Amino acid sequence: MIRRAMVAIGMGALVAAAVRLRGSGVAPPRSGGWRELSGPGLD
Amino acid sequence: MSLHLVRAAGANSLALVSTDMARIGILGVGAVGARLARQLVSTDDDDVVLRDERRTRVEMVAQSLGERASINRGALDDPLDVDVVVLSGPARTQTHLAERFVRQGIHVVSTSDDVTDVKALLALDSQARERNVHVVVGAGFAPGLTCVLAAHATKKFEQIDEIHIAKSGTGGPACARQHHRALGRGAIDWRDGAWDFRPGGSGRELCWFPDPIGPQDCYRAELPDALVLVPAFPDVRRVTSRVSATRRDRLTSRLPMLWPTDPEGGPGAVRVEVRGRSEGRGSVVVYGAMDRPAVAAGAVAAVASRFIVDGALNRVGAAGLAESVDSLAFLAELARRGVRAAVFEGESRA
Repeated sequence: MIRRAMVAIGMGALVAAAVRLRGSGVAPPRSGGWRELSGPGLD
Repeated sequence: MSLHLVRAAGANSLALVSTDMARIGILGVGAVGARLARQLVSTDDDDVVLRDERRTRVEMVAQSLGERASINRGALDDPLDVDVVVLSGPARTQTHLAERFVRQGIHVVSTSDDVTDVKALLALDSQARERNVHVVVGAGFAPGLTCVLAAHATKKFEQIDEIHIAKSGTGGPACARQHHRALGRGAIDWRDGAWDFRPGGSGRELCWFPDPIGPQDCYRAELPDALVLVPAFPDVRRVTSRVSATRRDRLTSRLPMLWPTDPEGGPGAVRVEVRGRSEGRGSVVVYGAMDRPAVAAGAVAAVASRFIVDGALNRVGAAGLAESVDSLAFLAELARRGVRAAVFEGESRA
């Protein structure tokens, strides 16, 4: 019984660690680039 | 007071700059304070009075600045004969000092990015208004430059829905420690008219910063950006902020900092994404800037101080830069000092 509980806790910790490390990010931009702001209105 | 227009370097915009000299007190001459002092002495011809408990450090900084810099050996909260005092010491040392100087009728600029500091400084609003004093809260890289970029972006919208801030990199060791602590503490976001508390280190998002920083995984942390942005944009539905971090940063964020940091910090960047409605359609504007965080923070604090001296702030009392300055004039002046903003053109999200 104790062994089963320990295994379950261990598995839970592993899954939690994996989820925490993986996170839930969104897709990155696939096109575009940065341009310095310029002009009288800094557009 | 005499003002003249100057053309911002690298841009065709004009910045309003005073030729009057001022006397600025700087409390804390770490990476940010030293950069700030150099800006004020070399670009603005101001006199600076330096105070820091680290004697060797303050002497070294004063010596490098020349005759315009002097050292005041009083305690940090002793009275100072200055026009503006900039609090550029470590986090959680600034509130008591700000209160003291406001009581003396001296304008205050704070570079702190600590949530406790920012809340306490904003709470000085009524006291500062009574004394007709400015308290600029969060005059650094983020919050600071990010607030001005957000204010600039919102000019493109009829209605603002969301503001999302991301920051990468740290200034000196004190800034790195603050970044480390923030990642292990709960985040404060703004969602649909209420504060939203989330665990630090959660909510991974891949944020694209200006080159050469590029894409970085960013996470929620105890950051004060929403606290200074929401009062400036009361109708905004969502404000979030994130910092870039590695897996090691996240896993060790609740432990003491285990590794040494660069005394001057490395390169960093900020990214400000504003979503809203323009001409009846949903639209997104993404602004960013890349610089050494300590250099950019020093420049932002220097320009904020100059704006106070020139009477160019929008309101008295305690507020962030988004509420306090004209974003175009502020960004133009920053560009003149070499801190340049950029816009992301293209698909912000796939």
